[in-house]
Amino acid sequence: MNIIVCVKRIPKTAEADIFIEKDNKDIKKDNLVFALNDWDGYAVREAVLLKEKFEGEVIVLTVGPDESKEVLTRCLAMGADRAIRIEEPIPNDGRLIAETLAKVIQTGPFDLILTGVQAEDDGWGQVGVALAQILGIPHASIVTHIHIEGGKAKVRRELEGGLEELLEIKLPAVLTIQTGINEPKYVSLAAILEAEDKETKEMTLEEIGFSPREPLDATIDQVSFPPTGKRAEILKGTPDEVVGQLTEIIKRKKGS
Amino acid sequence: MKIDPKTFTKDYLLHLCIQCGTCTGGCPVKYRSPLNMRRLVRETYFTDPFPSLSKRAEIWACTTCSTCSLRCPSGVKNVELLMAIRNYLANKGEVPSTIRDALENTLMQGNPWGRFRDRRADWAKALGVKIFGEATSETLFYVGCAPSYDPRVQRVATALVKIFQNAGVDFAILGKKESCCGNEIRRMGEQALFKKLAKDNTILFKKLGIKKIITTSPHCYNAFQNEYPDLNLPVQHYTQVLVHLIETGHLHFSKELGTSVTYHDPCFLGKQNKVFEEPRKILASIPQCEFMEMERSRERSLCCEGGGGRMWAEGGTEGKRNAEIRIREAVSLGAKTLATACPFCLLTFEDSVKTSGLADQIAVKDIAELVDETTK
Ligand code: SF4
Ligand code: SF4
Repeated sequence: MNIIVCVKRIPKTAEADIFIEKDNKDIKKDNLVFALNDWDGYAVREAVLLKEKFEGEVIVLTVGPDESKEVLTRCLAMGADRAIRIEEPIPNDGRLIAETLAKVIQTGPFDLILTGVQAEDDGWGQVGVALAQILGIPHASIVTHIHIEGGKAKVRRELEGGLEELLEIKLPAVLTIQTGINEPKYVSLAAILEAEDKETKEMTLEEIGFSPREPLDATIDQVSFPPTGKRAEILKGTPDEVVGQLTEIIKRKKGS
Repeated sequence: MKIDPKTFTKDYLLHLCIQCGTCTGGCPVKYRSPLNMRRLVRETYFTDPFPSLSKRAEIWACTTCSTCSLRCPSGVKNVELLMAIRNYLANKGEVPSTIRDALENTLMQGNPWGRFRDRRADWAKALGVKIFGEATSETLFYVGCAPSYDPRVQRVATALVKIFQNAGVDFAILGKKESCCGNEIRRMGEQALFKKLAKDNTILFKKLGIKKIITTSPHCYNAFQNEYPDLNLPVQHYTQVLVHLIETGHLHFSKELGTSVTYHDPCFLGKQNKVFEEPRKILASIPQCEFMEMERSRERSLCCEGGGGRMWAEGGTEGKRNAEIRIREAVSLGAKTLATACPFCLLTFEDSVKTSGLADQIAVKDIAELVDETTK
């Protein structure tokens, strides 16, 4: 079973202080750490688990500049067999990313394509679905369980309100993977250093036969912080005081 | 050191074990987990149990307090064996999820909690501390991860800064450039990450022309003093510095403490590095500080269970926590304050004093705080 996993390198913002660049077109990134998109980590792990069951090859694929190599190395350390990087700044437009990925994917045989549900940075959630459309194969999004049997995948999808959908889907297909589908393993530094020796192929748009700037990439006009909600109350004081206030609020709410 | 299946019985001197059971007898988690060092030594000697070891949660219960190794009459390297087993598991990716997060956070943000690197020195903003890069000094005050980020331990770092300033000590901190010392990282089994931290930190210290290091935590002290292969710089735990400042007349007490204090020896300061006298000397010089010694003190101090990565581990032990037993010991002695000199001890005791409902009977303090209170 040959599985292709599409991944992305993203800046980690959860704990960080976020500032906006002077031109208002992006956030400042020079003080941020970058990592493998969380969803993609689950997708790679799922691919490796499937490979352990059915054998075959796991290929990781990304569009991105030189720095993106580090996330591919991480994927290789997680058990992927080889990696391909398309040398190009990461497009803003999910559709363009999908078109680029499709060009490479179409050149070889595969049984399954996994992507993360969405990327932590732009959160479009488009690449997997657009990719299936371009390749003309079925897809399922927000997948929380995969069972492969006889050229078909039985998958569970997460719906709103705690509902789940059970689908049977013909392979090859694209599945976008939800976090929590598996328990990620620790990726040791020793494994990462070892993975640096595994094969990573680098290709330009020209080499994959894709003419750049067609279709046009989306451009970002402006980024801004969301306005502070009226009902948000920020508690002030020492941790002890804040906890005291919070306890009072919870007590009040509980009573009402 | 790595587990090499062919040589590990010799590497860790397992063949010297006489099965006396001293190791297990002194183990602070023996009642709280199935961890049994005597059995572990025997099993690893006779069989190749590594594949099955990954299934055993008790491997993560060890606090690396080192009581077993220090007391072993045959010189078996028990703790090193345990860390090597963890290393074997870490390299296979088979570590508990909370340990995994701590290790990944350290690689990414330079601290096991994954807090933002740029915020590492926020605690010092209003204190007028010199930061390497903007200023220079021969003495590095290496703050450490918990004192940089944990609000409770930030109070210890702040107290130390005030004391040093008060006593005219010239020093600087690394600010955002400070990264985890790696002491607990090595103990959680990530030897490669420890090596990287040791190398990067050593290069940074040398580049900045640092001649001497002071640490808040006994854990950082232990790493720099005993486990950084190329550092070769004098390292002092802050208690050693304070004794010197008091004895040379640079630090004057201006207030009375007016309470009774007992002292808990942190494993990494006391039994592992034999710094027993300095904390006691400091307490003895604080005016109106009635010192009381607990029965289990010095080498026999009861491990608080904060070391060896236990700060980031979940479960694996059951029953009453040692920190709570320790609090009760201090209370029954009649002490009004339980003092210690380690961020992890401080945090485990602060938790336990609350969960045991004894917060109105005893206060948990770091020695640095007691000195700061009485020298202002
Ligand atoms: S204390 Fe040493 S000799 Fe005694 S059982 Fe433990 S490892 Fe063996
Ligand atoms: S280091 Fe401490 S906790 Fe670990 S096995 Fe030895 S005595 Fe027990």
